[in-house]
Amino acid sequence: MLKINNLHVEVAGKEIIKGLSLEIKAGETHAIMGLNGAGKSTLANTIAGRDDYEVTAGSIEFEGKYLMELEPHERVAAGLFLGFQYPVEIPGVSNLNFMRTALNSVRKQHGEEDMSAAEFMKLIREKAKMLGMDPDMLKRFVNVGFSGGEKKRNEMVQMAVLNPKLAVLDETDSGLDIDALKTVADGINVQRRDDTAVLLITHYQRLLSYVQPDFVHVMIDGKIVKSGGKELALELEEKGYADVA
Amino acid sequence: MYDELTKSYQAQSDSLLGIVPGTDGIRTQALADFLSKGFPTKKTEDWRYSDLKALTASAFEMAGSDADPEVPAALSETAARFVFVNGRYRESLSDMGELWQAASVRPLVNHFTASEDRAGELVRGQDAIGLLNTALLRDGMVISVPTGVEIDDPVEIIHIMTGADAQAAHTRHLIELGEAAKLHIVERFIGDGSSYWTNSVLQARITEGGKLAHTRLQEEGANAVHTAKAHITVGAEGSYQACNLSLGGKIARFEAHVRLLSEECVAYVDGVALASTGQSHDTLTHVSHTQPHTNSDQIFRTVADARGKTSFQGKVTVDKDAQKVEADQSFKALVMDRTAEANAKPELEIFADDVKCSHGATVGELDAKAIFYLTSRGIDPVTARQMLVSAFTAEALERVENDSVRAEMTERVDAWMAKRADV
Repeated sequence: MLKINNLHVEVAGKEIIKGLSLEIKAGETHAIMGLNGAGKSTLANTIAGRDDYEVTAGSIEFEGKYLMELEPHERVAAGLFLGFQYPVEIPGVSNLNFMRTALNSVRKQHGEEDMSAAEFMKLIREKAKMLGMDPDMLKRFVNVGFSGGEKKRNEMVQMAVLNPKLAVLDETDSGLDIDALKTVADGINVQRRDDTAVLLITHYQRLLSYVQPDFVHVMIDGKIVKSGGKELALELEEKGYADVA
Repeated sequence: MYDELTKSYQAQSDSLLGIVPGTDGIRTQALADFLSKGFPTKKTEDWRYSDLKALTASAFEMAGSDADPEVPAALSETAARFVFVNGRYRESLSDMGELWQAASVRPLVNHFTASEDRAGELVRGQDAIGLLNTALLRDGMVISVPTGVEIDDPVEIIHIMTGADAQAAHTRHLIELGEAAKLHIVERFIGDGSSYWTNSVLQARITEGGKLAHTRLQEEGANAVHTAKAHITVGAEGSYQACNLSLGGKIARFEAHVRLLSEECVAYVDGVALASTGQSHDTLTHVSHTQPHTNSDQIFRTVADARGKTSFQGKVTVDKDAQKVEADQSFKALVMDRTAEANAKPELEIFADDVKCSHGATVGELDAKAIFYLTSRGIDPVTARQMLVSAFTAEALERVENDSVRAEMTERVDAWMAKRADV
């Protein structure tokens, strides 16, 4: 599904990703773990297409398409979703309007008709309920005045509505209390199917107790230095990054 | 000043003597003041952001009145609709609706009496632009809503300019609200590509408990100069709520002069200006708190494209005895290009000590993080920008109470962004 080959990425002239390769197949859940500054978020944002991140070498293939040739919104239509570490606040745009515009933009790219307002309301209410979001928050401006946990939950609602093939979740567990963490984990687990894949990016092993990955990768200084099964996460938690790598 | 201009405006003003009975005296005075003052220059503080070269190069003749233009549909259900073509009231295109049954309505020409008693109601004007409007005024609507009468649907006044190269229209509207009367005036300005000048004044007296909403939709032709002033006085517990959407013209300027004359009255003066390439939109407001417990709030949002310019000068004065006043002002500008320009000059003159006044002015670009966030959810970049601009301007349009008028305004903001994306 996703094939990253010898990827090099520069941000503001500084190389952050220094030759990273990774392959994710349908049905798999991968976790990338690493300390701050290892380049985890840069990787996530590069996959999603942030335009100030420059790919200087290597390639990212997604479902047989070269991602670098697609604009961010086209990547979403191809089935990609990025859960943000820091979801952006957008005053003046309601959550409902935002999600409906997003869903219909994707449908339009697929040559489909807009979803009717009634159908959309049914869908979004169902997803909000599943993820324990107060329906009133749908009417509020996107992420404005939301707590850290509410923002992350909102990301999960968006993911559920867009139903991507590959979800890249950047520090989705940070800022969550234990109840919110469980709800979010449930939301991720629902998204795990034979025809989908998940890439979790995280600092800590905590989330991985609720969303058990098939593969764990350790990222240090812009590269994956070690890969293994889910037991690698526990080993990291115990021994720290320096020893494991 | 400039000989040609002097001669032309003198002749135009003279030709109007006796045409609007009762105004000869004030007309002559205004002309004399205009001639001695001359047009503002860039050194005139209040006019520093508007380049008036187009007005000073040569005189604008009075626009002709024989054109027969298309009149666009109204923005909403209306209580009445008054159409002005090239500055002249056109009864055949207007619709009195049922307004005449509830209020007194008449064209300006029939308002004054030969004794000049009523001419004193006219605001004479302070700068050359206002003075010239007085010296050359000829047509306008006079609407007087009696005590306790509430007119719910807007009254639309539409100004159309056509085939008016080097011609000007100096309209003057007079509004008066009796105690607890209510009225919504929607002023619209449209025109063709000729290089005309619209110079319009609306003055209103809102007495106790009166509520006047004043919505302006300025969509002048691309080569037009638009200068307009609102002179408003508000009595006890009265309110004035203005919203100006400035879209058209080459040089556009709107001034709101609001005097809060008695306790518990309030002024909301809001606006949105969208400057395309080569356009200048200039707003000047002066809200004067002369009594205690008077409030004002102003919200302005502007967007400027490449080589477009938006300017805002907002002055709030609080007199010595006007305690417990609350006055707020917020100006935010978006610049869509490095060559766009946004100017802001808030001015507070406060002589009372127990007041709450605030002002804020920011100039910025569309938030790249927000654009990325929207596009990372599948929204194309053009729609993403449109959503952000629409959200940015919405706050300044929010107080327009009539839903369909407000929706029309929002649509025009979206259309402006969509058109911009096509270029």
